[in-house]
Amino acid sequence: MAANIAGRSHTGAVRATNQDWVAWHLGDDQNTALMVVADGMGGYQGGEIASRVAAEAVMEALVPELGKSTAGDIDDGISERLQTAFFVANERILERRSSDPALKKMGTTLVVVWLADGYAHIAHVGDSRCYLVRGGHLSCLTRDDTVVQNMLDDGSITEVDAPHVPFRNVLTRAVGALAQVDVSYRRELILPGDTLFLCSDGLTNSLTDTDLEGILTMNTNAESMVDALIETALTNQASDNVSVVLLVQS
Amino acid sequence: MASLSQLVDNVVANTFELSQAKTLIGRRTDNDLRIDEISVSGQHATIEAVPNAYLEGTVDYYITDNKSTNGTFVNDIRLEARQRLNSNDLVRIGWNEFRFIDEEENALEKTAYILD
Repeated sequence: MAANIAGRSHTGAVRATNQDWVAWHLGDDQNTALMVVADGMGGYQGGEIASRVAAEAVMEALVPELGKSTAGDIDDGISERLQTAFFVANERILERRSSDPALKKMGTTLVVVWLADGYAHIAHVGDSRCYLVRGGHLSCLTRDDTVVQNMLDDGSITEVDAPHVPFRNVLTRAVGALAQVDVSYRRELILPGDTLFLCSDGLTNSLTDTDLEGILTMNTNAESMVDALIETALTNQASDNVSVVLLVQS
Repeated sequence: MASLSQLVDNVVANTFELSQAKTLIGRRTDNDLRIDEISVSGQHATIEAVPNAYLEGTVDYYITDNKSTNGTFVNDIRLEARQRLNSNDLVRIGWNEFRFIDEEENALEKTAYILD
């Protein structure tokens, strides 16, 4: 099996700045990979810094570890290493916050995929998502850390209410917000022909699931899928920054 | 505190504070908000004030239609199930129009982790 990855981050059709950050690394053997999307918050400057600091901390900590994963043991401490990378990212943002009053409210979402031995190890905090497309069907592999998601789950509100609630952008967890960060983790077997992608909410708020499925089944290579996703979001007047990192497993 | 303001020809005629956990709306005298008008059912609708479990200090208001004859509408859409009200929603009880106002909504700006 070999993977093919592409990614792109765009300011969107309305915003003046881009507070998202994307990063990825494909191992020499094309069987291992790291993918990262972060969506920063906390003011004009803070959001840009927080997302970049988090993504760079993860890449710095995990890229050297990529080749070390051993075949045969699918766990191989990957979940612990992902968690440690999130802790490092959290600490770095907290340090920057304490050193500059202008950055005191910054934080970021962070979603990371570590591909090794045919498994995607997915860790996230916040509402940037990871999706899997298999056989033309789209499924979301992450659960948003938002007040709205909690209220949908407990039955307080319905999908009809969700786009209208005034606190629809409020997160329950963020990287760089508190001294301790809880990280969600799951592992998913990846099959040949699967497409896996990470995105910021700017993408999912400007494209429907049907749009996504259409684009992802019509195209075959990672680069053209990413371009089509971003272009469609812009055509739909994406009001937020739009970011995608996408992997095609062949 | 949230309120319902009755509109007559788009002008506020009465304002009713939603100060209780449950406000009953209807034509009968045992309702908290009584509307003595022919299109309104005996016990027409209920508004509940529920503290938000995830956002300290936030109260959510939910409206339910109690199988009324002429229906309860939010922004001209007939209620099929319990629905959360947002500030400035237009609520219609039979033929009677109200504006729902929740002044606390702006207080959310103080909350941490708001994506901007």
